[in-house]
Amino acid sequence: MKTARPLLRQVGILVAVALFSITGLGAQGVQKLLEGSEEIRADIIPIDSMRVFGRLERPEVVFLHDKHTDAIEKQNKDCQACHQMENNRLVPKFKRLKDTDKQAVMDIYHTNCIGCHKETSATGKKAGPIETCGECHPKKNLLISSRQPISFDHSLHYRHAEANKDQRTNKGDCALCHHEYNEKTKKLFYAKEKEGSCRYCHKKTTEENRSSMKLASHDACIDCHRKKVAVKIESGPVKCMGCHDHEMQKKIEKIEVVPRMERKQPDFVLIRVKTPGPNKEGPSFRMNPAPFNHKAHETYNNTCIVCHHESLQSCVQCHTSEGAKEGKFIKLESAMHLKAKEQSCLGCHETNQRKPECAACHAFLAKDRRPESTTCQLCHMNPLSGVSKNIAQDERQIAEMLLNSRKTKVLTYNAEDIPEKVVIKALSEKYEAVELPHRKIIHTLLNNIKDSKLAGYYHSDQGTICQGCHHNSPVAKKPPNCGSCHGKPFDESNAFRPGLMGAFHQQCMGCHQVLKLVKPTSTGCTDCHKLKRV
Amino acid sequence: MSISRRKFIGWMSAAGLGATFGKSAHAAANKQFKGYPDSVGVLFDNVLCIGCRNCEAGCNKVNELPPPSQPFDDLSVLAKKRRTSSKAYTVVNRYENTHSKKSPIFRKIQCNHCLEPACASACFVRAFTKTKEGAVVYDASVCVGCRYCMIACPFEIPAYEYDEPLTPRIRKCTMCHPRVIEGKLPGCVEACPTESLTFGKRKDLINIARERIKKFPDRYVDHIYGEHEMGGTNWLYLSGAPYKEIGMREDLGTVPAPELTAGVLGAVPIVVGLWPVLLTGVYAMTKRKEQIAQKEKEQAVFHALQKADAAAQLKLSEALTKAQKEKEVAIQKEVKKALAEVQKVQKEEGS
Repeated sequence: MKTARPLLRQVGILVAVALFSITGLGAQGVQKLLEGSEEIRADIIPIDSMRVFGRLERPEVVFLHDKHTDAIEKQNKDCQACHQMENNRLVPKFKRLKDTDKQAVMDIYHTNCIGCHKETSATGKKAGPIETCGECHPKKNLLISSRQPISFDHSLHYRHAEANKDQRTNKGDCALCHHEYNEKTKKLFYAKEKEGSCRYCHKKTTEENRSSMKLASHDACIDCHRKKVAVKIESGPVKCMGCHDHEMQKKIEKIEVVPRMERKQPDFVLIRVKTPGPNKEGPSFRMNPAPFNHKAHETYNNTCIVCHHESLQSCVQCHTSEGAKEGKFIKLESAMHLKAKEQSCLGCHETNQRKPECAACHAFLAKDRRPESTTCQLCHMNPLSGVSKNIAQDERQIAEMLLNSRKTKVLTYNAEDIPEKVVIKALSEKYEAVELPHRKIIHTLLNNIKDSKLAGYYHSDQGTICQGCHHNSPVAKKPPNCGSCHGKPFDESNAFRPGLMGAFHQQCMGCHQVLKLVKPTSTGCTDCHKLKRV
Repeated sequence: MSISRRKFIGWMSAAGLGATFGKSAHAAANKQFKGYPDSVGVLFDNVLCIGCRNCEAGCNKVNELPPPSQPFDDLSVLAKKRRTSSKAYTVVNRYENTHSKKSPIFRKIQCNHCLEPACASACFVRAFTKTKEGAVVYDASVCVGCRYCMIACPFEIPAYEYDEPLTPRIRKCTMCHPRVIEGKLPGCVEACPTESLTFGKRKDLINIARERIKKFPDRYVDHIYGEHEMGGTNWLYLSGAPYKEIGMREDLGTVPAPELTAGVLGAVPIVVGLWPVLLTGVYAMTKRKEQIAQKEKEQAVFHALQKADAAAQLKLSEALTKAQKEKEVAIQKEVKKALAEVQKVQKEEGS
């Protein structure tokens, strides 16, 4: 009796706690949901300038930049109402050029913000907070930023180049944006035909002598746009939303066919690793060099940094055959073949295979498969007769010759050699035999890729397209039946091979799913099979 | 040295008890059971599942279960989050795919046939057996209907025939154990048109699952559910979405259920068995105590009475002797008085 009583008491307490947590916590959750009225905007700038002086005393200010720009416009004031000028350029900091000391910066914000709010509200207009601290320094931010980074693609680049063309000479003024830094004179200068992406120098954070990408772009872009607008020339956005709002980005004009950017870049390249020959006389090559159509690839991508991620040099500069520090020890072989990296040839081609028209077949190919050795030679082409293996001639000419010798049209067997219908009757039990519209399927697959140069080159062999379904067997005009390999399911000696019914369903349904076909549906048995009449 | 018969029996029984309990404690504490070698199982790959309910129909057919409330070609039921019942040993539920709205994910539910089943360890009449083929099977003839197994199962699988008034049984998937012994496939596996259910030796299934993850890393979550969950199960899963998103518990850990509860559950038979003895003993002892107390009380009263009696007698006799003495003294006194008076009279007459 003596031990039972405390036990009873513990159970009682537990039950009470459980009841409270179920009812009490549930109610709290609901309340939280009702409170959260969040607004989504692209112009949210958190003001945490005081962070350079140590820990923030109050939560950071959630500042809506466009809201203020609009209000100031209405008062016929411009950016200089809040930002000062230095070297004829706006300084992004508020009402100051430098962060001097804690008290001074804090005073600048408090006197100017509250002062302006007071002035505005005195005229009877709606204005920002004046009295309570928490209105500017909220403990919980109920705003969600929808800020989208903007991509300065080929189309935008072309439009900027056009807009800044000299009317008389009809030449662009690249120096307006592109520059390099001279370490000795500590000045910016323009290096003709050395132009690169801003990101090569302007990194994520501000470093010595170079501002962060964020700062540099806001500094240069907005300043230029603002000056043009001031003299009534059509120009780019000045407000946050103009560049960073998703909807506004969609409205930015796109040039479909962008003329080539001229920077004396090569049209054709012969990618190869040079190693000294056996007798150390003249270069010899481990592999046949791979000709590369640089000019064509420029049009396949939106920016140069897709491939040239660190600088606009040739790949071999950093990615040497043995790997070097500049190339993070990634060998040229890896740089070209790593499927996981989008900058690599195979990585980018693999990404292209995710398009539905390619994925219909390619989705079924294992990610880690080793390509057949014959496919290596599609890129590492055999040198043409007449071109010696010791390439001493103009490499670019050779590359062009090799590329021009390529066939880039999808080919297959003659229509009469392709069976029109294939009747699958091996499994017929509940349903009638299935009539597969064999020729129609092939023609649909061919039709889907007929405009792709990439697909064209790799499928120029007659039997390649057949391999999409007739996999794991040698290429042939009459490949083996599906039943030659696929039989009864769960064969222990061939554990990885599906049975015949599984193979059919996986292949057919998988492909239909990738192509997003409405019919036949996977669960609509009678879409493909006719019910057997008993 | 001679041993008496009684002593010998005592030693033997003690040794027997020691052997039973000692052994069970040893098994629970030491190493993990890795499953019967070459036991079979099923691998469910939800990337290949199209949600056709053929497995449900196949299960219904081979187990001769009553027809379902909605026919098997009605796919609208997939939206409901159904559980296994005494009339459906397997169900398929549909889950929305957070990554691509248009291709939902299907989850097949049935008994997972744990390598070390919680239901079997919770059952004190041993109605559940883990067969060497891999299936966990149930014997209704010994079941007492306590439904501990239903509480013990972390996957909420065993179902009870609540509508059976006289002989209710626990019902659950048997991995078609009788069919498997005959060399046939489980009903659901045979009915699956896409081979999203693969039947085979558990060790082979794990290899197949690993191979699929390796070949198509974009398609699968890099985890085989059931390889280690609750100490491992004979039913294994591959998924295209995180298991949590399709309602599968990820908090179960890798320790088999019996290991967690061996100590407590091991004590259950003893406690249950000893309870009547203990209670009867306690009852008997109290009863005996009461009797003794009663006897003692009576005796005490008797003694007290006797004692009191004796005292009274003594008092009486004392009083009597006192009275006697007093009487004698009084008589003597009177005699003396009379004698003195006689002498006084004689003196007066003499003078």
